Amino acid sequence: MPMDLQDRAQYLSLALFSQKVVSALMEYVDENKNGKLRPSLAEALDSLLQTKRPSVNSQRKVAAFTTYEHLRTLEEVWSARERAEAIRVIRAILRTPKDPKTKRVANRLIDLFSKLQNQALWNFEQPKPVSPKVMTRLCQMA
Amino acid sequence: MPDGLADLLHDAAVLHRFVDFIEEYCKEQERSQTYVDASGLFFQYVEKLAAGIKQELGGEIDRATQFPARLPILRRNILTLKYYLRLLHALIKPAADAHTLTIPAPLIDLAAQQLQKVEGMKGSSVVILLTPEFMYFQRPHTDIKDQARFVESFIPNASFPPKLGFIELPYSQGPSFFTNLAIYHEIGHFVYEELSNFDPPHANFTALKSAMARSLSKVFGQGSKDRQAQAFAGKIIENWTQEIFCDLFAIRLLGPAFSLALVEILGMLGFLSRSASVRFNPTHPASACRFAEHIRLLEADTWLKAIKDIKPEQMKLLEKLAKEPRANYSFYLDDKRRGPDSLMHAFLDVVVPAIRTLACRVTSKAAPVVKRFDRVRRDVEDCLRVGVVPHTTSSSSHDPVSIINSAFCFYLTSLPRVLEEFEGVEAKNDVAKHSLWTKRLEMWTMKAIEDSQIQDRLRRLKGTALWSFLEKKS
Repeated sequence: MPMDLQDRAQYLSLALFSQKVVSALMEYVDENKNGKLRPSLAEALDSLLQTKRPSVNSQRKVAAFTTYEHLRTLEEVWSARERAEAIRVIRAILRTPKDPKTKRVANRLIDLFSKLQNQALWNFEQPKPVSPKVMTRLCQMA
Repeated sequence: MPDGLADLLHDAAVLHRFVDFIEEYCKEQERSQTYVDASGLFFQYVEKLAAGIKQELGGEIDRATQFPARLPILRRNILTLKYYLRLLHALIKPAADAHTLTIPAPLIDLAAQQLQKVEGMKGSSVVILLTPEFMYFQRPHTDIKDQARFVESFIPNASFPPKLGFIELPYSQGPSFFTNLAIYHEIGHFVYEELSNFDPPHANFTALKSAMARSLSKVFGQGSKDRQAQAFAGKIIENWTQEIFCDLFAIRLLGPAFSLALVEILGMLGFLSRSASVRFNPTHPASACRFAEHIRLLEADTWLKAIKDIKPEQMKLLEKLAKEPRANYSFYLDDKRRGPDSLMHAFLDVVVPAIRTLACRVTSKAAPVVKRFDRVRRDVEDCLRVGVVPHTTSSSSHDPVSIINSAFCFYLTSLPRVLEEFEGVEAKNDVAKHSLWTKRLEMWTMKAIEDSQIQDRLRRLKGTALWSFLEKKS
């Protein structure tokens, strides 16, 4: 199946979403500004938690990780442990943003979302067909 | 200078030059051409974005000087913005090419007016793009909007215009009329995307989403862990849903002329062969399935009764394909591999009824339009038969949908007779003359629609201060 612009655009959306999170975190860590921090992290947390719920019955609209392209990229760069770590760190920052310790762990979150942004940009530039695993699974169901 | 700063400066300068050009290009187009309003809104967004990016780039360099450790992230951010502009870049030139002299402006105006009457679509507008592909297409704008929303968090003054859609026409079809009726299907995609973003959600859209979720549960079982396969299957169901919804939406707005135009287009693209017409693929349901839904709706809306005496080849083909038994449908993931038929059956049983309901709920009832068509059809045909623009002798104008359907029926059934009448019997098999008279017929139809729109606007002015002013002047 040819990769059309719509599929590629999904990767770019994920890259921009990651950039939004990273930018808010950098302002927080480097410049002590947290105006954009809460909305960006809340959006990220909501999206990450959504990936744990069975999606077929979900009607909620979240910013990321609901499409095939987003999920594929996420699974390519983050292990299950890293996903859990990201959720834990986001919660910690949201709970006590003024604590100097949280600033230190925020850098870890910047690394994680930078990795995600990088992979999303790579997938946008070099789109791959649907993963063979998925195709095989659907063929088996035929 | 910190390591890597020179690279960042270089990247920033390249991006600066890129946005500078785009900004100037949009301004130049607006100065030199006339566009539909939506294109102007889009160009203004691009101009504001370009100005914002140029300002932001200076800030990024300051940040890099202060926090050199962030250099790789800042370079990546510039690259991400560049990619976003690349997507916009792909829209700007086709939008600039689609000025009012290169598109069927009366049809676009009509579609834009009808769009305002669709539930929840007041204030929406559509940017027309002329594409080198021989394909009608609606550029999904939800992605662009989502991206613009993310971009707005770093470029605060550039807000993407709300309810703005993008529809592509093949550049070769720009001035033609009948094939361009396909844009109504594309407008359906725009409406569908807008419906999916309604807050609070539209009740019938929520019901449709639930039906889609039920169809997936039917295939994968409740709480399946196979997230990627399920997401991909969900995408396929979504694609099929949109195609059927858009067809039904277009028929509700336009009547049988849309179905007949689609038969022509799909035939041209080779999608109506026996084997292709019963095949579902990941992006489209089988044409036979689509046409079965067309016939069902045309019958329910009494259009079939109104055109029962018209039996051009396109209508016969439409009816034949619609009768194709469901047992003959198949689903292929690509050229060779069969997909799960269970997905197709779950879609047909669970989702399609919800699509029908949604399409009928967001559009107006067809009965009054069918009645008007019944009333004016002979008048329109009489005008076209003698080679004049369809018009009325009374103060009331023909409504555009009736004109379109009458003219399309006339085109499919009576064009050879007109040709013979004006050009002689020997012109019957002359391709060039046939093409010329089709073009004329399309021009008369377009002019009739334009006249009808002008009359309509004047009627709405009656009794206003402007009307009194114009009366005095005349």
